[in-house]
Amino acid sequence: MRALIHRYTRSLAALALAIVLPVLPASAQATASSDHATGTLLVERSAATPGDTFLGALRLKLADGWHVYWRNPGDSGLPPTVEWSSSPAVTAGEFRFPPPHAIPLEPLMNYGYEGEVVLPFELKIAADARPGDQLTISGLFDYLICADVCIPEAITLSITLPVAATPSADADASAVIAATLTKLPANLTGRAAIERTDAGFRIGVADPAVAAALVDAADVRFFPNGPEILHPPLQPARTGPEGVVLELQASDFVTPNSVIAGLLVIETKDGTQKSWEVAPTPGPMPDGISATEFVRTGVDPAKAAAAARASAPAAPLDFGGAVVLLGLAFLGGLVLNLMPCVLPVLTIKAAGLVHTAHDPVQSRKDGLAYLAGVVICFAIVGVILVALKAAGDTSVGFGFQLQYSWVTAFFALLMFAVGLNLLGVFEIGSSLGGVGGNLADKGGTSGAFFTGLLAAFVGAPCVGPFMAPAVGVALSQPAAMILAVFVVIGLGMAAPFVLLSFTPAFAKVLPKPGKWMETFRQVLAFPMFLTALWMLWVLATQAGPDAILAVLAGAIVLAFGIWLAGKVGQGMAGRIAAAVVVIGGFATAPILMNLPKEQLLVEGQPWSPQQVSSLRAEGRVIFVDFTATWCITCQVNKKTTLYSASVQQTFADTDTAFLIADWTNKDKVIAEELARHGAAGIPFYLVYPASGGEPRKFDGLLSPGQIEQALREAAGSI
Amino acid sequence: MGIFRDRLPVVLGAGAAAVLTAAALVVSSASAAPPGNAAPAFTEVNTAGKPISLADFKGKTVIIEWTNNGCPFVQKHYNSQNMQKTQAAATADGVIWLSVISSKPGAQGHVTPAQADKLTADRGAKPTHVLLDPDGSMGRAYGAKTTPHVYIITPDGKIAYNGAIDSIQSNKVEDVPKATNYVTAALANLEAGKAPDPALTVPYGCDVKY
Repeated sequence: MRALIHRYTRSLAALALAIVLPVLPASAQATASSDHATGTLLVERSAATPGDTFLGALRLKLADGWHVYWRNPGDSGLPPTVEWSSSPAVTAGEFRFPPPHAIPLEPLMNYGYEGEVVLPFELKIAADARPGDQLTISGLFDYLICADVCIPEAITLSITLPVAATPSADADASAVIAATLTKLPANLTGRAAIERTDAGFRIGVADPAVAAALVDAADVRFFPNGPEILHPPLQPARTGPEGVVLELQASDFVTPNSVIAGLLVIETKDGTQKSWEVAPTPGPMPDGISATEFVRTGVDPAKAAAAARASAPAAPLDFGGAVVLLGLAFLGGLVLNLMPCVLPVLTIKAAGLVHTAHDPVQSRKDGLAYLAGVVICFAIVGVILVALKAAGDTSVGFGFQLQYSWVTAFFALLMFAVGLNLLGVFEIGSSLGGVGGNLADKGGTSGAFFTGLLAAFVGAPCVGPFMAPAVGVALSQPAAMILAVFVVIGLGMAAPFVLLSFTPAFAKVLPKPGKWMETFRQVLAFPMFLTALWMLWVLATQAGPDAILAVLAGAIVLAFGIWLAGKVGQGMAGRIAAAVVVIGGFATAPILMNLPKEQLLVEGQPWSPQQVSSLRAEGRVIFVDFTATWCITCQVNKKTTLYSASVQQTFADTDTAFLIADWTNKDKVIAEELARHGAAGIPFYLVYPASGGEPRKFDGLLSPGQIEQALREAAGSI
Repeated sequence: MGIFRDRLPVVLGAGAAAVLTAAALVVSSASAAPPGNAAPAFTEVNTAGKPISLADFKGKTVIIEWTNNGCPFVQKHYNSQNMQKTQAAATADGVIWLSVISSKPGAQGHVTPAQADKLTADRGAKPTHVLLDPDGSMGRAYGAKTTPHVYIITPDGKIAYNGAIDSIQSNKVEDVPKATNYVTAALANLEAGKAPDPALTVPYGCDVKY
């Protein structure tokens, strides 16, 4: 779903822009690799507004055994840096570093990251940027990466970010960034004190969150911002019900004026880290932090595995946080009603409202059915996410990885079918029975439900910038909270129509039902067809032109099924047959799109006279296929003969060069070559013998035996 | 607010007491070579196999440079000729320059005496001696952390400077001319009869391959 939504939001932003100027879908991610790391530049937005402030991040995936450094690298090393080369309208802030790990290099100590690290930073768009501008966010990302040796590596990453009147979120990047934000150090709410000791310093921290984290702590360490603490030594610790106290050794850098500050990091037994920025004030230690000696146990592998299954760890929200989150979710749901991808579906709903406006009872029923449809759809999304999270899919974030080109194809066909329904080609309920309800017919309570489902289904991809952070946070929460967030999004989305349904005054504004409503409904078919067209366009960028063909084939089957349903009437067998054809229509696209690609033993190479002469000079057998996509016989020959296993094997055995002269587009050289060989048209084939001499010519339908023999003769092996 | 008002005098008092205590405490350290301390004695062989001791250079200013030819930070200062120039200027003034290699056998930068001599010749380096410390004993005695890491020892055997070669922590050659060369600055101060300022900096570079 994340990928789907990601794809859709991106496409939407692009669609909005495409009205003004032709642009490709904006990508809010860029990836490049150096020798020992792969870096990705992530940006929360796929379109930003003038004056917008949001987050970007650098994600580094490091080769096994290599590390990069924290803001204080420890005894050696350097933190990652960036030299920006973005558009002048873009201002970037400093990296924000998640808590590091202590990486001992006896007798030294480094602070850094292994595996993967995400470094968020703030991005600000100038207020005078204009919608339609294409901004570049780019920089040279420089990082010292070390194993037993150190190598300075650098990558350049660049993203084009469109400026738009309304922002849109890159859900994928937002989820990654949101997950990282939960790991960033928190500010200490409790008290931290520091006092000198013979060896150096004693730092005491009394804080409820720290105390809570200590319950399951495997390790605790203070990472200093500066050089005043010796990095390598173990930091003996004691804990109590209120917090922790650590013994630190001073380095040569300590002066009477030294101010010690840094990060208190608690690693829990499941391997997750909690951290706090600590700036202790000189003074006596707080009470209740030194009852027992702290024993470092190391991470418990079983608990670490469990934590890895449970996606992004985060402290459950308190009541206030939950209210804010749900409020955001409701707002996000409301805003969905303004999203262009929902509008076509809402027009259906509008038609329903118009229809029932003068029947308050039905109007209320429809309102509630619509509400149920929307909420159930979002609840299903929530349940699937919770299930995936529970099943241990840690990669999901917002997303179960759908084959999203299938979904796009399905949408295109669904929109097409809805359009046909609006035009009156068929009536759901009367002919296809049980699928849903007649969309705008009287007594369409189930229709309203169906509209709700559809609106939510289509609307979900349009999850706006309001939603991405809310959903990101929600995903780090317990299952009940995730579900609640999604249900509330649904409530928000359904709210306006439900309100209208319950407002009798609304009816007075509308004209009386009549013939105009039929016309109104038919007019609404065209936004549906436009939406289908848009889906096809999205699909083209996802899966290429063959997918379009597959969907259009599906549309024909679907149209046939719908026509059939109208013809067969009410008989059970006929209805089943029609339903099968309709389902077949929907299934056609994914089936065609997923046909296995033919694996050829000998792939064709592009033909050119020069290629022929050089291959002849090598003494190779050459097979030339004069072909074109519009030449049906050529395609048949390809299937039956040229791509058949036996001919392919013969190509390989005889070391034949397989050349393809593609005449799909006008080509003077090919036309001249055909004329030279006296060919009237295509298909036309030439087999050049290895020994030199004139080529043999073939046209019309081929048979494998004929070609195999010709090839063996040409190779001189017969 | 009441809480803060009540506690304020206590906190202030405690803070003042702590600052005074901190100031009164003698700075203790696990490192062996803070400025002002006596430089740790050592005896290591040079590339000719001759034992070299700190005691050999009584009455002379000695600079010790930890190095590792495979380290990009060392390369920064040799490729830019910064290290060679600093060495040449120092030795021309009668300063003893010791380049020390503490990489353990098999680790990056570990070289045979012949390889070390070739490196010196190829790079046009100007150390008085290159010392081979494969067991890391000299490096540990001084608390050498990075390559490069530089120490300056006064003629009477005291640490005068301990830290980075210059002021910009990077591996980029183009930063060399922008940076303050701490070694050159410290030598100038010593020549003028003043203490180096800064006398202690955070060394930067690769970890010494102990």
